[in-house]
Amino acid sequence: MEGKIFVVTSGKGGVGKTTATASIGAAMAMEGKRVAVVDMDIGLRNLDVIMGLENRIVFNVVDAVKGKCKVRQAAIKDRRIDNLFLIPASQSDNKDALTPEGVIRLSKTLRKEFDVVLMDCPAGIERGFENAVAAADEAVVICTPEVSSVRDADRVIGLLYSKSITPKLVINRINPYLVERGDMLSHDDVMEVLSVELLGLVEMDDQVIVSSNIGIPLVMNKDSKAGQAFKRIAMRLNGNSDLPIEIPQYGNGFWRKFSQKIGLSKPRRIHA
Amino acid sequence: MLNGIFDKFFGPKKASKDTAKKRLKFTLVYDKLEVSDDILKELQRDIVNVISKYFEIDKDSLKLNIKKSEDSSSLELNTPILSARRLSPASSHGVMTGSR
Repeated sequence: MEGKIFVVTSGKGGVGKTTATASIGAAMAMEGKRVAVVDMDIGLRNLDVIMGLENRIVFNVVDAVKGKCKVRQAAIKDRRIDNLFLIPASQSDNKDALTPEGVIRLSKTLRKEFDVVLMDCPAGIERGFENAVAAADEAVVICTPEVSSVRDADRVIGLLYSKSITPKLVINRINPYLVERGDMLSHDDVMEVLSVELLGLVEMDDQVIVSSNIGIPLVMNKDSKAGQAFKRIAMRLNGNSDLPIEIPQYGNGFWRKFSQKIGLSKPRRIHA
Repeated sequence: MLNGIFDKFFGPKKASKDTAKKRLKFTLVYDKLEVSDDILKELQRDIVNVISKYFEIDKDSLKLNIKKSEDSSSLELNTPILSARRLSPASSHGVMTGSR
């Protein structure tokens, strides 16, 4: 069976695309899929560092597209998680080093060698974006609950639909305390504005920084709420769409249940 | 929960996310109304062609712009008419293709 290609994109930079790509990729590999994560941010590679594979790079995605090496040679195998591979970006070229046609050619090989391919898209909607989405079957759009990020997500969702790619949304860096206080857009607010299917909700989590400091996949950390959220997102992407979406909660369960009983707050869990 | 109690007794205070949501909705509507200069020029050319089927106009003094106000946008077109064309629709079609 041919592998499936997902692009992880957002429009705005710094919302967690790379962390999401690494986490979803690692989670899917842990479920037994043969996964390649591809860093499409040519000239500004980062996925290698997030995954802790930066000192093992020999070839990169530009080499693979240009035929300087085989796809297998460019794919670095993660030693901690079986079936997880990284194809890094080139650091010396710029975005014009790739073309959508080149990416489509590379993707033919990728589909044969992997079950799942995740393309980590650069910020912006120019050449780098065009390259990253060129071969994608589906898209994961990441946004944070901020006006600027949701606006960019809306733009990107529009562009994806115009390319007949179905986007699904992950809302990242939710601060449940701020949502409860009314100082952060809730996921309902965001979904009301965007016309897209919700894929998952990820809480703001210090462990993301800790994991990136030491270069260990977030999903291997059982204490990380964000890591566990990305695991569920990976399961939903893998076709397990009945899995309910968990809503990040503020405070402990007792007071929440108590206040729900007496009608001061709404129960929080949604089935898609 | 405490917020819930507070709201029950004192009425909800103005939350900053409401402002965020309002601004977000406004921005998205406006983003979709934005038209690039190239498209505007193309539109102007098409409009000139269509109007020229029925009227003789001063093509250079035709003005086209998008006027934005608080809650709506409108397309404004202003052109002086020199004379009406006295042609049957069939032959005016000929004028149209001829001028292209």
